Amino acid sequence: MKLNRRAIIGGITAGTLAFGLAACGGGNGDEEGGSGDLASGEINASGASFPDAFYAAAIEAYAEVNPDLMVTYNATGSGTGKSEFGEGLNDFAGTDSLVKDDDGVEAGSFQYIPTVAAPITVSYNLPGVDALQLPQDVLAGIFVGSITTWNASEIAEANPGVTLPDTAITLAVRSDGSGTTTNFSKFLEAASPDVWTLGSGDTIEWPGNAVAGEKNTGVAQVIQSTEGAIGYVDLADATEVGLVTASIENADGAFIAPTLEGATAALAGATVEADLSYNPLNAAGAEAYPITAPTYILIRTEYEDANVAAGVKEFVNYLITDGQDLAADNGYAALPESLQEQAVEALNSTIAD
Amino acid sequence: MTSLNTAPDLTGRNLSKRRAFANRTATLLIGLCVLIAALPLVLVAWEVVTRGGSALSLGFLTEEIPRNYRTAGPGMGPAILGTLAITGMAALIAIPVGVLGAVYLNEYGKNKPLARFIRTMADVMTGVPSIVMGLFIYVAYVVVIGEKVGFGGSLALACLMLPIVIRSAEEMLRLVPDELRQASAGLGARKWRTTMSVVLPSASSGITSGALLAVARAAGETAPIIVTVGLTYIYKPDLFYGENTTLAAQIYRNATQPFAASQERAWGAALTLIAIVFLFTIVARVIAARFAIDKR
Repeated sequence: MKLNRRAIIGGITAGTLAFGLAACGGGNGDEEGGSGDLASGEINASGASFPDAFYAAAIEAYAEVNPDLMVTYNATGSGTGKSEFGEGLNDFAGTDSLVKDDDGVEAGSFQYIPTVAAPITVSYNLPGVDALQLPQDVLAGIFVGSITTWNASEIAEANPGVTLPDTAITLAVRSDGSGTTTNFSKFLEAASPDVWTLGSGDTIEWPGNAVAGEKNTGVAQVIQSTEGAIGYVDLADATEVGLVTASIENADGAFIAPTLEGATAALAGATVEADLSYNPLNAAGAEAYPITAPTYILIRTEYEDANVAAGVKEFVNYLITDGQDLAADNGYAALPESLQEQAVEALNSTIAD
Repeated sequence: MTSLNTAPDLTGRNLSKRRAFANRTATLLIGLCVLIAALPLVLVAWEVVTRGGSALSLGFLTEEIPRNYRTAGPGMGPAILGTLAITGMAALIAIPVGVLGAVYLNEYGKNKPLARFIRTMADVMTGVPSIVMGLFIYVAYVVVIGEKVGFGGSLALACLMLPIVIRSAEEMLRLVPDELRQASAGLGARKWRTTMSVVLPSASSGITSGALLAVARAAGETAPIIVTVGLTYIYKPDLFYGENTTLAAQIYRNATQPFAASQERAWGAALTLIAIVFLFTIVARVIAARFAIDKR
């Protein structure tokens, strides 16, 4: 079988080269017939699944603006998106997390372009209690396992006038490795370092009263079916399932409900780094919702093919300008104006015309 | 002496009470097991047909895939073409190589160390998870040529099919009686001639059904396709140029979204995939029946 396989791969490579060259020749010929200033051809992207619904809506809307440019976005997850970016397999990548040394992406070969953000809600199931307020230390205490019943004095103090039952608290958490868990635990780590001792990352060693569900929808299901449950779910899924969400204390001490406006305010209050990465978790601002997760697109600093470069520039530009109007309908917060201007500027200076 | 002429009584009417009871209990239990075994199959078929049936229409089979999950309405044409083209190409690669490999194993290799090694390896490879094959092709082909193309998926599926085809074809060749080979040799045919015109035709129906099992398994594979093939919304008949898609990949992509429109498309795609595999099985059975030398 070894012999056979070597023979196949040899034959295949030769065949592919011949076919591939022929196909490329044909493709280039077609592209010259493209209309006016608009780019044409095909752009392939892959990466984070969190902004997938927004990107899909934008791709559909963009097909009407410029039908000659075919954009695909394959929701493979941030990690795969980044490694494919490093291998040169996609034209741009989507990612929820920043590029780390072991992601396979060469430093200096990419530019972050922020696109949208979304609030992560703290949803709970407690019949009769529909406007819970949670200070940061109390939230950390609940998720670290030191507050175990709903009528604990810490919760009662923050919610005067609310009758709390003595139901035990059940934590609804993610069973799979997740960017949502990363952002949620990073928030707790930043917000109350004294109480939160479980660290941050894709997975957390949760205390014994935790029940795990798969993906955001799984966690939402656990909350919905368990009285006394509390968990973290993205806003789109929490709204879809109809969960009750808590208002969370932000850096300025105000209690803010998870809304897109709150997320946009958090983006405005976040400090933007020189590379356009920013951290809206626990951002300053009276209106800012503290648990807001960002997402980025990685574009290359150098494209081999001028057609692809023009296509990426055109589509990403659409995504951060006109396409922002689609964000709210799909459950994402648009970029504030200042950040949007910076993103457009970075895009223009990274990919020259 | 008259008793010799009457047929033995097999109805069980004359059995003792105990044996009759045991007989009836066993029959009942077996019937129950058949029901239990058939239940999930029937339920799956029922669920897919009722849920997917409403999505299915001519437009669903021919139109392009909607780019937005929320957009209601049809479109799986490119995925159907992708499934047929990618699986077809994989079959073109794996079946000839696999059958020739089996011919070597059974007609020439027999119990030589090389043949024994190949046999063991093929058995081990049958149990390798499909994602491993996907990653192998990703590293050995996709990364090397620097592009995700449909042909990468064909290669991954071919790697998956190869061990199944080799082992099932070898089993079928082993069933061909040695007398046929000896008779052919006695008429003066050379060994290759005997293999080509006696052994392979005799085993053809078995080899076809074995190859079909492999094709059916490959058509439903998701993980290696997502890794090697990428995604597209439009028709891509050229497997060597541009990213592609298959029904299985589209089921995964659409079913994991919370939107009703995309989930309906996923059910429709599932029904289409089952129908394609079903159709394929019937066609191949017919072909096999026509080509088989008549069975004894």
